[in-house]
Amino acid sequence: MQPTSDPRLATTGNPTLKARTFECMGTVIGLTLPVGSPAEGQQKFDELAAAAAVVERLFRDLDETFSLYRADSEASRLARGELTLRGASAQMRERYAEAHEWRLRTEGAFTPERPDGVLDLSGIIKGHAIREAGTSLLALGRHDWCLNAGGDVLVSGSPRPGSAAPWKAGIVDPADRLTLITGYALGGHSRHSAIATSGSAERGEHIWRLGSGAEFVQVTVAAADIVTADVLATAIVSGGTPMLDRAADNWDVAVLAIRADGSMLATPAFQPA
Amino acid sequence: MKIRGTVAAALASAGILLAGWQTGTQVGGISTVASSTTATGTTGSTGTGSSGTGSSGSGTTGTGTSGSSSTSGTSGTSGSTGSSSSSGSSSSSGSTGTSASGTYKGTAVQTRFGPVQVQITVAKGKITDVTALQLTNTDGKSIQISNRAAPLLRSKVLAAQSANVQTVSGATITSDAYLTSLQAAIDAAHL
Repeated sequence: MQPTSDPRLATTGNPTLKARTFECMGTVIGLTLPVGSPAEGQQKFDELAAAAAVVERLFRDLDETFSLYRADSEASRLARGELTLRGASAQMRERYAEAHEWRLRTEGAFTPERPDGVLDLSGIIKGHAIREAGTSLLALGRHDWCLNAGGDVLVSGSPRPGSAAPWKAGIVDPADRLTLITGYALGGHSRHSAIATSGSAERGEHIWRLGSGAEFVQVTVAAADIVTADVLATAIVSGGTPMLDRAADNWDVAVLAIRADGSMLATPAFQPA
Repeated sequence: MKIRGTVAAALASAGILLAGWQTGTQVGGISTVASSTTATGTTGSTGTGSSGTGSSGSGTTGTGTSGSSSTSGTSGTSGSTGSSSSSGSSSSSGSTGTSASGTYKGTAVQTRFGPVQVQITVAKGKITDVTALQLTNTDGKSIQISNRAAPLLRSKVLAAQSANVQTVSGATITSDAYLTSLQAAIDAAHL
């Protein structure tokens, strides 16, 4: 797929990309690392396994607390009214505060509450999990990696350690998931390390729209951090062009928004040079 | 020569004038003299042009001021507008009177952020007003770097090949949908 992963090239000492995946939060999370030459590959591969285990542990812990699909989670107890925010854990209240801050900053386009009033932090938890996983990987001394959680991506460094080569993320076509519309460079020289896509194509039920029908079927946002990218992508699907303009004006982001008829809006970073 | 110097000096002082200039104080009738702009080309305006360029660079600092809230990013843009108002100064040399009067439009200059065009009003050899005829934003709010989204034609996008990407961003997919996704194929290649 990617030139450096070609076995014929690996003998030249080019790093090979290796991936580990696991299922969590209803989707698949993948960690990709460049590993050294095949001679020392075994040892490096164990490092990948160790790094992936740390990421997986982190996702599972957060899922246990925040999943509304688990009847015994703290989030479910809050939703049922058995627990109030006052009595909730510190991390629950922190995420609630963060989500509310985003509601203010997006003028309501992003909200942590479902229309039925139930607190739903799922719109921010995945981004938070990715962010925390990234922090852990850096703490482990891993500087070159790509973390993809169900289509939301955070990278560090380069697929070729020591070079300025960016990670290249493809953006999927909402009309045909096996086709890419365009690509976006992350890490390396790019000022953006994170990219997130929201849409109604796959799991649109977690986006609560303002007003009538959705203007965009898919919105991709690249930003310096994954929570900003994730929240703004969700907010733009919900809030349409006004929210898109607000995001472009107020945050250092790149946005690609696609309408149901296939027409697109893109900020300069997504426009061809 | 005297006129040339006067105009250049007038343009040079534009920045200073503009700093404290209150719009709307000039006599409305002045703009009717705009027809004198057509009298260009009679003189060797190249010399004027070059001298005018430097001075008008300071003159166009006023572009930002007339466009209300200006940002620090304005300097780059006003640099290019400087050359545009210099063409206005070259046309002023066409009026052979001892005192140049009239309004002069610079040519519209395309900048990264959109078209920019300024107009100066000169009365008796002095610039009495500078107006921005075109700013990048229609509301004239500011000349700031625009990050606004614009239509993107699919045919204009260099379609990314899945072979050239290391990861895929898309709307959150379920674990089942992952199995048939591009990301799964990429991950499989790296397992």
